[in-house]
Amino acid sequence: MLNHMEFDLQCTDIVRKFDDFTAVDHVSFAIKKGSFFSILGPSGCGKTTLLRMLAGFDNPTSGEIIIKGKSMNGVAPNKRPVNMVFQHLALFPNMNVSENIAYGLHRQGINKVEIKHRVEQVLARVNLAGSGNKQITQLSGGQKQRIAIARCLVLNPDVLLLDEPLGALDLKLREHMKVELKQLQQEFETTFVYITHDQSEALVMSDQVAVMNHGQFQQVGDPQQLYYQPDNAFVAGFVGDSNKWSASVIDILPDSLKVKTTTGLILSVSKVDNKSLIIGSEVDIFIRPEAVHISQQVTANLQDNHLNIKINNILFDGANSQLLVEEQNSGEEIKVKLPQTAEFMHLQKGDKLQISFPFQQVKTFPKELEVS
Amino acid sequence: MKTIGTANARTPIKLGLLLLLCPILLWLFLLVILPQLTMLNISLQERVAPRIYEYGFSNFIAFFTEPLYWNTFLRTAIMSIIATILTLIIAFPISYYIAKMLRGRAKGLLFVLCLIPFWVSELVRTYGWMILLRESGVISTFLQYIGLVDGPIEFLYTDATIMLGLVYSSMLFMVVPLTSTLDSLDDSYIEAGYDLGGNGFSVFWHIVVPHAKPAIVSGCIVVFMLTLGNYLTPILLGGKSSLWFTEQIFTQFITRFNWQQGSAFGVLLLSISSLIVWLGLKLSRQSFSKVMS
Amino acid sequence: MNISRCRSLIAVGFTLCITAQSVNAETLRLLTWGGYAPKIVVDMFKAETGIDVEVTKSNNEDMIAKLSATRGGGFDLVQPSQDRIASAHAEFNIYKPIDMSQIDNKLFVASMLDATLKSSMYEGKSYGVPHIWGTSGLIVNSEQAANVKDYTDLCNDTYRGKVTYRLKRPTLIAFAFSMGLDPFAAYDDPAEYEKIMLQVQDKLISCKANVKAYWSGGDAMKNLMRSNETVAAMAWDAGGWQLNDDNKAISFVAPTSGALGWIDAFAIPRKSKNESAAYKWINFVMQPKVAAMITDSAGNFTASKGADDFVNASLRAKYKASFDTAAIDNIKWYPPVPAGLEMIEGKVLDRIKAAK
Ligand SMILES: Nc1ncnc2c1ncn2[C@@H]1O[C@H](COP(=O)(O)OP(=O)(O)O)[C@@H](O)[C@H]1O
Ligand SMILES: [Mg+2]
Repeated sequence: MLNHMEFDLQCTDIVRKFDDFTAVDHVSFAIKKGSFFSILGPSGCGKTTLLRMLAGFDNPTSGEIIIKGKSMNGVAPNKRPVNMVFQHLALFPNMNVSENIAYGLHRQGINKVEIKHRVEQVLARVNLAGSGNKQITQLSGGQKQRIAIARCLVLNPDVLLLDEPLGALDLKLREHMKVELKQLQQEFETTFVYITHDQSEALVMSDQVAVMNHGQFQQVGDPQQLYYQPDNAFVAGFVGDSNKWSASVIDILPDSLKVKTTTGLILSVSKVDNKSLIIGSEVDIFIRPEAVHISQQVTANLQDNHLNIKINNILFDGANSQLLVEEQNSGEEIKVKLPQTAEFMHLQKGDKLQISFPFQQVKTFPKELEVS
Repeated sequence: MKTIGTANARTPIKLGLLLLLCPILLWLFLLVILPQLTMLNISLQERVAPRIYEYGFSNFIAFFTEPLYWNTFLRTAIMSIIATILTLIIAFPISYYIAKMLRGRAKGLLFVLCLIPFWVSELVRTYGWMILLRESGVISTFLQYIGLVDGPIEFLYTDATIMLGLVYSSMLFMVVPLTSTLDSLDDSYIEAGYDLGGNGFSVFWHIVVPHAKPAIVSGCIVVFMLTLGNYLTPILLGGKSSLWFTEQIFTQFITRFNWQQGSAFGVLLLSISSLIVWLGLKLSRQSFSKVMS
Repeated sequence: MNISRCRSLIAVGFTLCITAQSVNAETLRLLTWGGYAPKIVVDMFKAETGIDVEVTKSNNEDMIAKLSATRGGGFDLVQPSQDRIASAHAEFNIYKPIDMSQIDNKLFVASMLDATLKSSMYEGKSYGVPHIWGTSGLIVNSEQAANVKDYTDLCNDTYRGKVTYRLKRPTLIAFAFSMGLDPFAAYDDPAEYEKIMLQVQDKLISCKANVKAYWSGGDAMKNLMRSNETVAAMAWDAGGWQLNDDNKAISFVAPTSGALGWIDAFAIPRKSKNESAAYKWINFVMQPKVAAMITDSAGNFTASKGADDFVNASLRAKYKASFDTAAIDNIKWYPPVPAGLEMIEGKVLDRIKAAK
């Protein structure tokens, strides 16, 4: 089959049950050769379970995993052309850096000279040339990270699996490593499957992201798609920052809907594709803080939502600063992005303003039962 | 194996600390050092006539010139080494199973099951084996009952029985340190070992064993010393040919009233066994303080 | 930790010293054999004199070891065999001479008293008076080993793995007699004695395959005989008579080369704290009726004159069955052991133990 060739990894209908609990629920996907694929989801949604099945530490209850066109059913972890970077890296403490990297090469029966050469080569590529004799405890967090990746990449795996490898790092280093990981992946041209609960990691690094919840893939797409065209309420809520309200439909217009939130705020929102809503249907609506426009003068545009608000709080965070504002009639609280421009420098708690946003920016989804 | 030197600047020992250490030092001196010195003193006395003793090395020379003593010691040391190795070989899979395969209640249960035999005294345990193994004992009777053998079989009084008893009574001292060390080995190291292409053997040898090494060495030292110094098990299970060095010491002290010879044996046992332990540490490239911590 | 065994031995020595100080004056600390101070006799003694008797059970070697560790302290009265008093005293200086003025010598069988006084003599003074006597010989299961008549018969191929004896000096001496040698005659000639012992050593090494186990406590020996794991043993007469109560086939047999006669005596440790109580006890237990009670408990007869009449009839019958007049005349009584012989025997015993 031709399409096998362009995919490094294909999963069809994977299910993993622990007793009567389904940790991974009918998951199917295919990953293109050389791409950076992330699986994003909250803690406990089944990411690790899925990754362990790819690595071979666990077996699917049903479904098939195909790597490079070969079915992996019944293939032991040490026989699969994949390698894994563990959550806590699992660098062997009794071996130094070179020994750690050489471990896998030794298992392949490669001769000593060749091993030495390849270890030096890979150390240079992760910018740690000359650290071969260091003990693991002598390395910094970021260096350990790179060694763990080098230890896998030296084996030229078809797919590299990474289980939240940045989780243990502090924020600054994490930001730095995101960039570095992406660069490494492009340099080695290896397919990465990266799992994380941190949406920013997934969005920054990935070519494709799968959003996962309750063992199921909610949406697979590139970062922009997920951010701007979420398929469902979960994705809309999980990816990026949003104001989220429960509301019910009060009018159906040709382009838009009119809804009323539980606190009584009435808004124009976008229409749901292919979904037949009737008046009275319950919906969830999402609006991103950066989609809200603040103005001090009243401007009239009937298409848009115009709200009179009072500033409740100013959350200063440099470029990510936000206002917490309260709609005057309903008392509904809204997060709004505060642009750091001269125009808004003097804003204070208690100030009254107007905000507006086009209905297209308000995503609407039929109410789902119990969304986390 | 290189470790980074902890640059822990040595602070001068304060008077307060010295006072705190006083009871321990006193205890060490009175109960450990003093008896050893007394024994050394006694061992250096040789009988020239009734009630007359002189200093000399004849008791030590007797050990090296009388093949009987020598051979008994050698036999004891070799049997102890074999018992230690057997204990390790048997305890390792058990510990691994408890630490790595079992979860939750089953884990605690099996661990306690391993400890239960040690709630009774060594004497009772050994008599338990005798009841099982003697000619008119449980196993022999059972084998006759099911018709596997015609006449009674004696299982007692062989070297194999001694070995069985020694390994059995040492098991705890190997299983406990091994289980707790293996328990502390994160599963991800083992999985990483397989993931990088290792098979069962290479993961065991390059990852599990190095991690467990301090526990293996400390377990072996404890088991070896206990076995070497064991008295009841070899005597009761070994019967007419038990021939254990501590029995020799006991005989010298109690049935021959030859405290001088007995003390010399005691001093020799301590020195030679320390030497063997030291060699073991050198061979396994472990330091005593690391192993015992 | 390997050495803890020896260390605890030394510690036992220390404790003995310490406990020696703290004992109440009106107690008699008696170091003796099992059965020699039955509770009923202890109670009678307490009622008559108000003195508590603290009994510690022991054997010959243990007594000497304990007393030599404390240089004759820790006990007020001890009961070693008469042949081992003078030599142990010569070696370790652990006893004090018997004060005959405090002993009622009319209570004793005169010949036994004289013999013991003589055998326990050191530098002109006597250190022991007799109490209980008995013999070592053979205990035989007549249904399975009727042919065992002498010690050397234990080495008969028919009884492979089926006999038991102790690995101690009486065994060496018994086998020597049974092999036609006379170890007692060689007591004063260490070279000759060693030659005899070396022959016995060879015999016992070649006999080792016949031995099921070297017994060390009477109970272990009785267990072996009762369970039929062994069919013949070298042991004390009283043990054989006790086994006879349970199994009529088993009884004590005086060996053709002669049973070995021993007398357990009374001796006063050098640092005895209550000598007067010790003498009171000796005179008390030698009264015929009391002596008979002890015979019932220990299974052996005493040196008390006239006591045998009070001993129960069944024990007397068993004694008669084991010993006819000829057998009694044939008893080899242990002469006092000269100092130093035990060194020779020790090495021999070690080599037998070590042999394959
Ligand atoms: N071996 C197991 N036995 C039973 N339940 C398990 C097992 N492993 C994982 N689970 C459950 O499966 C769910 C998903 O776990 P996991 O894959 O580790 O989540 P994530 O990595 O996304 O945080 C969790 O609810 C967890 O409790
Ligand atoms: Mg996880």
